[in-house]
Amino acid sequence: MFEFDLVLQLLQQMCVYLVIAYLLSKTPIVIPLMQVTIHLPHKLVCYFIFSLFCIMGSYFGLHIEDTIANTRAIGAILGGLLGGPVVGLLVGLTGGIHRYTLGGITAESCMLSTILTGLISGLLHYTLMKKGRIDLVYNPFLVGVLGVLVESLEMIQVLLISRPFDVVLHAVRSIAAPMIVANSIGAAMFMRILLDRRAIFERYTSAFSAKALKIAVSTEGLLREGFNQENSTKVAEIIYQELDIGAVSITDREKILAFIGVGDDHHLPGTKITSNVTLEAIEQNDVKYLDGTHQPYQCSINKNCRLGATLVIPLRGENNNVVGTIKLYEAKNTLFSSINRTLGEGIASLLSAQILAGQNEYYKQLLSKTEIKLLHAQVNPHFLFNALNTLLAIIRRDKEQASQLVQNLSTFFRKNLKRTDEIVTLKDEIEHVNAYLQIEKMRFMEQLSINFDIPEQLEYAQLPAFSLQPIVENAIKHGTSQLISQGEVTIRAYANDQTLILEVIDNAGNYRENKKDNKGLGLNLVDKRIKIRYGENYGIKIICKPDEYTNVMLSLPLLEDVVV
Amino acid sequence: MLNVIIVDDELLARENLRCLLENDSQINIVAECNNAMDAIREIHRLAPDVVFLDIQMPKINGLEMLSMLDPQTMPHIVFLTAYSEFAVKAFEEQAFDYLLKPIEQDRLNKTLSRLHKKCPVADINQLSGIDQQLKYIPCIGHNRIYLLSNDDVFYISSKVSGIYVFNQNNNEYFTELTLKTLEDKTSLIRCHRQYLVNLKKLKEIRFNEAGSVDIILNNDVAVPVSRRYLKSLKEILGL
Repeated sequence: MFEFDLVLQLLQQMCVYLVIAYLLSKTPIVIPLMQVTIHLPHKLVCYFIFSLFCIMGSYFGLHIEDTIANTRAIGAILGGLLGGPVVGLLVGLTGGIHRYTLGGITAESCMLSTILTGLISGLLHYTLMKKGRIDLVYNPFLVGVLGVLVESLEMIQVLLISRPFDVVLHAVRSIAAPMIVANSIGAAMFMRILLDRRAIFERYTSAFSAKALKIAVSTEGLLREGFNQENSTKVAEIIYQELDIGAVSITDREKILAFIGVGDDHHLPGTKITSNVTLEAIEQNDVKYLDGTHQPYQCSINKNCRLGATLVIPLRGENNNVVGTIKLYEAKNTLFSSINRTLGEGIASLLSAQILAGQNEYYKQLLSKTEIKLLHAQVNPHFLFNALNTLLAIIRRDKEQASQLVQNLSTFFRKNLKRTDEIVTLKDEIEHVNAYLQIEKMRFMEQLSINFDIPEQLEYAQLPAFSLQPIVENAIKHGTSQLISQGEVTIRAYANDQTLILEVIDNAGNYRENKKDNKGLGLNLVDKRIKIRYGENYGIKIICKPDEYTNVMLSLPLLEDVVV
Repeated sequence: MLNVIIVDDELLARENLRCLLENDSQINIVAECNNAMDAIREIHRLAPDVVFLDIQMPKINGLEMLSMLDPQTMPHIVFLTAYSEFAVKAFEEQAFDYLLKPIEQDRLNKTLSRLHKKCPVADINQLSGIDQQLKYIPCIGHNRIYLLSNDDVFYISSKVSGIYVFNQNNNEYFTELTLKTLEDKTSLIRCHRQYLVNLKKLKEIRFNEAGSVDIILNNDVAVPVSRRYLKSLKEILGL
């Protein structure tokens, strides 16, 4: 039974082929093949791998009567089926052209049929995809049937194209059955290997996801309450249990917040960070990995520490700034599993998000607290009753002036009633300030002079309401009203690049930085509010020359009101 | 007839009070002052019966001003304030009179009728917030009030033109406070009828051939010591 021998031989060849396929399936190269993909790099991987199999199929083929019994079709079938029409065609072309270079009477027909095989498989992929039957693409049975079909087609084609007919017919008789059997079984088994590999991979990822999810769920919200020793310890405990790792540590920028696991006798929470690798990770805002083999890790606290490998991942808060680190450790002679490595980074970003959320919440609270305080500070009863006392005198003196004072009072109170989180134009804020100053001017009369220097083009610059008013009030209350001689308040606005600068200058020079009374309270609130809203680069700066002047400079981003 | 001084830094506030007081024919406004230094001078000069005193004033507030007054000529004080929970409570407890601005005529009348009945002057020193000791000595300079810390004072001299405070560089600063007040309310020691001296700045005591005695201070200024005060001075120094 010559034919049967050929079947066996071809199956043997197919086995070599499958062994290679199996080995390949152990490498990460096949990962793109396990899913139907539209990514170009994945398609390229698909093309290269199956072209290689095509070429190998021809190369390991058995030369029989000037033709080659081969398993080339496996590559073309899988290439087309997994990669689509284009990849299928390209794989077919590559394999076909290679086959052509090997010569023989069936060279042209084999080349053509390989191209056709790739194309047909590709078209099948296309059809199945369109019908949404991705599962069928990976069905080994279907692959087998496809193998039988395309191989039969190849045989017919060879008979039709290649000449002389009688020689070809004889060859086809001996190779048809082995090739159809070997290629269809081979392709089907190849797919089976891929499926197995995928199953393993999925089990692995699902275990991975389960762990990640469990950690995510159990640490949820812990650090949002505050990035401190207590909460960090809870988080470290969870991670330590879930990852089954040597030790887990969480630090802030200076000290260890939590440490659980091997070496917790000398890695004490609350102590300063001494490990260089941690300090580097904080400094460079970068993940540091000492795997213990290529780069050994030595504990910086205790020489006899059993820990031998560490992964340090920065925790990032606002503006991606490092607020601390999470460190995973393995003991000496224990391999650092890559799952834990990847998980570690995932956990770090999870915790970072929590810390950030916590910070944001804290800032929000702070902001509303400041707003409330500011609200309370708005109407100074002294101001109110003094103004009324002034009004009493003005009514007696000059009716016209009295009505003006009432106007100013109503403007002042109307503006005061505005919500503190409102954004207003500079013009609006100046109106408020002006109403206030006009009232004070009537009260202090010649003892107070007021200057405004506000360029017209800045009138529509935006700022939070009550940003300027407390500064001006401060300049009067703790500045000029403490002078025996004449007081002078100047309010200036100018733009410096994209920054709006507002200056309130009084000629008292009474500001003292370290005074413990709450003279600076209003200023502090304004400063805090601006910094929370616009960042640390903005806020209040005070220049004071004692007994000569105090200049309170408020800087804000220059934002124009679009509706002019 | 009551002689009255109004002390308030705001002209219109003084005017308001003046208008109300003018309704009472038994009131004679002898002066109006817009700061504490002027007020101390006028009170010492005119010895009024009553002072209407605003608490909120520049540099030296009303309460601080009280401790700078000569206790011997202490007038009756009626406090004025626009709004001050704390101060009002303190006054109530110590039975001091106070008026809230804007002042009501009826409320003022009550105060005036009490004043006409010649109530005894309440002891200022009982009022919490009034220091027994001065933290600084207010001096008048060029259009300014200087608040000299006690430690910066070397000696104080009483001249015909008034009381002068001397510092390290022997610069003189005029003050409205009396020598008696300064002696009582500071750690300065009387060494002569016309001199107070800061013993912390003492360098040596020099006995001159003519029998006179001088204190030499750290800045090498000599301050005379009179026979009358030499003995008590020696006692203080433990000689």
